[in-house]
Amino acid sequence: MYRIRHYIRPEQIREFSLIFIIMLAVLFFGTQIDGYYSARTFNRIAASVAIITVLAAGQTLVILTRNIDLSIGSIVGFASYFAGQQLSANQDMHPLIAVGIAIGFGALLGSVNGLLVVYGRVPSIIVTLGTLAIYRGVLVDYAQAKTITTDMMPTWLVDLPRVNLFTVGEIEIRVMVGVAVLVVIAFQLCLTYLLLGRRLYAIGSNPDAARVAGLPARRIVLLAYILCGALAGLGGFMFLVRFGTITVSAGVGLELSAVAAAVVGGVNIFGGAGTMFGALFGAVVIGTLEQSLLRMPNVSEFVRDALLGLFILLAVASDAVILQQLRSLWARWAREARETPAAHSEKESGHAS
Amino acid sequence: MPPSFKWDSLKRWETLLAVVLAVVVIFNISQSSVFLRVDNLVNLFMLHIEKIIVVLIMTLIIINGEIDLSVASVMGLGACVVANLYERGVSMEAAILVGLGVGALCGIINGFWVAYVRLPSLAVTLAGLIAYHGIAEMLVEDRSIGNFPDWFNQLGQKALIGPLPLSLVIFFILFIIFAAVLHFSAFGRYVFVIGNNREAARYSGVRVRQVKMMLYIMSGVIASLAGILFAARLGAVRASTAEGFELDIITVVLLGGVSIFGGKGTLAGVGLSIMLVLCLRNGMNLLSITGNTQSTVIGVLLIFSVLIPNLTQDFQGFWNRRRMIAK
Amino acid sequence: MKKSFLILIILTVMSLSLVSAQDEAVVATPGETVNMILLPKFLGIAVFDQAHQGAEEAHAELQNAGTLEFLGPTQENSAAGQVEIVTTAASRDDVDAIMISNNAGDQLGPALEAAKAADQTVVTWDSPIPSGDSEDLFVAQVDFDQTGKVMADMALSILGEDGGKFAVLSASPDAANQNAWIASLQETLEDEAYASLELLDIVYGDDVTETSYDQALALVDKYPDMELIMAPTTVGIAAAAKAMQDEGLCETVKVSGLGLPAEMLDFTLNGCAPEFALWSFVDLGYVTYYATYLLATGAIEAEEGVSFEAGRMGVYTIEKDPTREVGLRIVMGPFSVYNIDNVEAAANPGGAEMTPEATEEG
Repeated sequence: MYRIRHYIRPEQIREFSLIFIIMLAVLFFGTQIDGYYSARTFNRIAASVAIITVLAAGQTLVILTRNIDLSIGSIVGFASYFAGQQLSANQDMHPLIAVGIAIGFGALLGSVNGLLVVYGRVPSIIVTLGTLAIYRGVLVDYAQAKTITTDMMPTWLVDLPRVNLFTVGEIEIRVMVGVAVLVVIAFQLCLTYLLLGRRLYAIGSNPDAARVAGLPARRIVLLAYILCGALAGLGGFMFLVRFGTITVSAGVGLELSAVAAAVVGGVNIFGGAGTMFGALFGAVVIGTLEQSLLRMPNVSEFVRDALLGLFILLAVASDAVILQQLRSLWARWAREARETPAAHSEKESGHAS
Repeated sequence: MPPSFKWDSLKRWETLLAVVLAVVVIFNISQSSVFLRVDNLVNLFMLHIEKIIVVLIMTLIIINGEIDLSVASVMGLGACVVANLYERGVSMEAAILVGLGVGALCGIINGFWVAYVRLPSLAVTLAGLIAYHGIAEMLVEDRSIGNFPDWFNQLGQKALIGPLPLSLVIFFILFIIFAAVLHFSAFGRYVFVIGNNREAARYSGVRVRQVKMMLYIMSGVIASLAGILFAARLGAVRASTAEGFELDIITVVLLGGVSIFGGKGTLAGVGLSIMLVLCLRNGMNLLSITGNTQSTVIGVLLIFSVLIPNLTQDFQGFWNRRRMIAK
Repeated sequence: MKKSFLILIILTVMSLSLVSAQDEAVVATPGETVNMILLPKFLGIAVFDQAHQGAEEAHAELQNAGTLEFLGPTQENSAAGQVEIVTTAASRDDVDAIMISNNAGDQLGPALEAAKAADQTVVTWDSPIPSGDSEDLFVAQVDFDQTGKVMADMALSILGEDGGKFAVLSASPDAANQNAWIASLQETLEDEAYASLELLDIVYGDDVTETSYDQALALVDKYPDMELIMAPTTVGIAAAAKAMQDEGLCETVKVSGLGLPAEMLDFTLNGCAPEFALWSFVDLGYVTYYATYLLATGAIEAEEGVSFEAGRMGVYTIEKDPTREVGLRIVMGPFSVYNIDNVEAAANPGGAEMTPEATEEG
């Protein structure tokens, strides 16, 4: 058992505590809601957290560098409106081009944020609070109070939410859910194995040290913003697909949901710590709570938000408690290992082999 | 970083805000004959008075290196508690006291998790934002509660001292108190020290947890007070009262030159930022610029007020280097 | 005898003249100067823009030498923003009338009092001041008491004579007009004729697409025998219809309520939302403008029984608003009910009506 501590640190398995919390929540709601343990529950929750997961992934990239992007709600709205407009003008547009337009548009808005933060040296919260209002304001002017409606959209787009990648029994993995999971896995791999990933952490842990060590900090932060914008653009496209009717208020408030998912998922708001899987599980925790409360009988419309807030707080608190316990367990093991030299040497050799 | 540098940059920030403010005021005067009228100047404050009261305590919390996203929900909750109790026949005076107490309780809850359990304040107060609003919804549901006693509505709407209504008087008094506390008291020094480096502050004997707890309790009470004043001004309470104010409040604090990472900022800067945002909004309203265009202008101002001095500095640096090379 | 006969004649003439005075609809005199503000719940949404179009049309017809300003808050800051705009307007010298679609409930009261104290005419449209204080007149799009009957009728027509169970998906819990309509629906359901309809639940989507979509699916899961979702909000009905379509539920759960033809076109054609209703927001803006112009120029007083002519829309008579304790109203009406036969025509009005936007700011 001692041996584990050499290979894994508590921070690396903190996602397990989130999974544990999700399991607790599921167990609890199972006793409250008839037929809760069903494929349908899974399908509903999965479909509802797909968009927010993609946004939280982008947000995580930025938060890792000790910055924040509060403008993504407006980027989602603008990208979905813009992509919808292009699609309605060109019905025959290839689906990938349409997705590309949304992603590219998001990346463009993200790069504006990034340039202002990096080269303008304006604190990220100020930049993105500003662009949150600016992007939305420009969208309102641009849209001229016109609405994008489903009848303007090509059939493939309207039908996309129903399309499954594959099914396991009654569990359906929808395209959008697949995209979200793919995004998380891809970026997690980047964070773990690419130089870029380690640099993101390095900059977030200590920006000054990273600069002194010669990391191209500016370019990396800029890249984080562009990627975050691109993912918000992708989220915007998914928003268009899922909801069909896009007005200028599309995506209002999503920025806080994305930050919430990342923070609940253990991404440190002061940078340098956190994973994509954490953001995913954070989104799932909140989504599970939200969707389950909606379906809980005898919970009035007016009590739901109070319970949701309480449960989120409990989730964050128990996550912290579990992590603390793990840390002290590791510390105890380390102490015991020091006190029993035999075990120590045994483990050293074990480690070396 | 030597402290003198910080002071310089702060002074530069405040000078800049003052200059922009002067430009906005001159522009407003030139564009509208109404702007300088006493009733308009009172309106200018009154239309955002509840937010700018909360801005004062938010300044301290952000300087302390934390954040409180739940203030708007606490404002709404305070108003809803008072309305609900009054509707049940409790006297208004007692209802207000309970409302302030509930605000304090929210602050204690936030403070406990942040200061003692050391959870990130963003997560705690985000949960608070949802939960306190939820409790307000439980109390008021789909109703609109009004018909408060006359004296209560009068306090919110009518002048108390000269042309100044009660909430404006409260704001000025609080501003002076907070300025004194932040810049001229031991407590204020602790707020800065903790914001700069929590661990260092703890080792040098500052009671970090007590200071944070104190700040969150003050935040709860003041937010609740602001919500009750809001109820008095509008004469009716709904569950959605004050919803979404938190970002406006934080925006004003940041525009005032307070660092989101803590440890840096002055109440003078925040005062200038309050005046700037209020004059700008009032001027645009008088010129019939509303809605998203108005918030876009505020957004541009927010970014440019930091960007332009930075770019000027860059340009100066570039110029100096050129001259050095030429020599 | 003669004397009493004379008195009779005099009385008859007097009463006749009274009647005729009431019946005679006041016609607006064009060319007067009235500076007006049209204040929607928030900017950027199609329905309010249509109301603006209607008001512009009337503005041109009446050759008003004054201005018509279209001012509104952002959606995130609707209530406080409306209070701010009204208060500022009250302190401006150059505003004569405010036309407002109230989104702040009774919280607008003091601000509108200030406007009236400054001699400004206050007319509400689309959504009134619930307490009825501090407004001169409410221009109701339809009879609020009728709204419940229209919704119940649509439910019956969709579900068939044997009725069924349904739920309401509303906007935010404190939306005054939605609450009035739901109350009217509940009252209608007590009638024998609608005994076969059972209202299961009322939920709120806050007029946010995501929330409304989730709420609609939650209703389906919560009530397996539910056959219809009634959404008296344009955001809610479109989101609910899309949710049913995405989950392949259109055969079992239908959607109805109040919706925009352009947004509902697809869902009506494919049977997800076979029938829904709305009124013309262009006409609403037009009638509101006429009523306000007449009140502000002093051509009519806001009193029960006063009749006036609102251009192409015909004659309206001011009456006591039966849906509120205090307050006067005119009812524009009627509802247009849309289904597969007429939705396409309504969604694409031939392009003739689409006049280019007049820009207001500047």
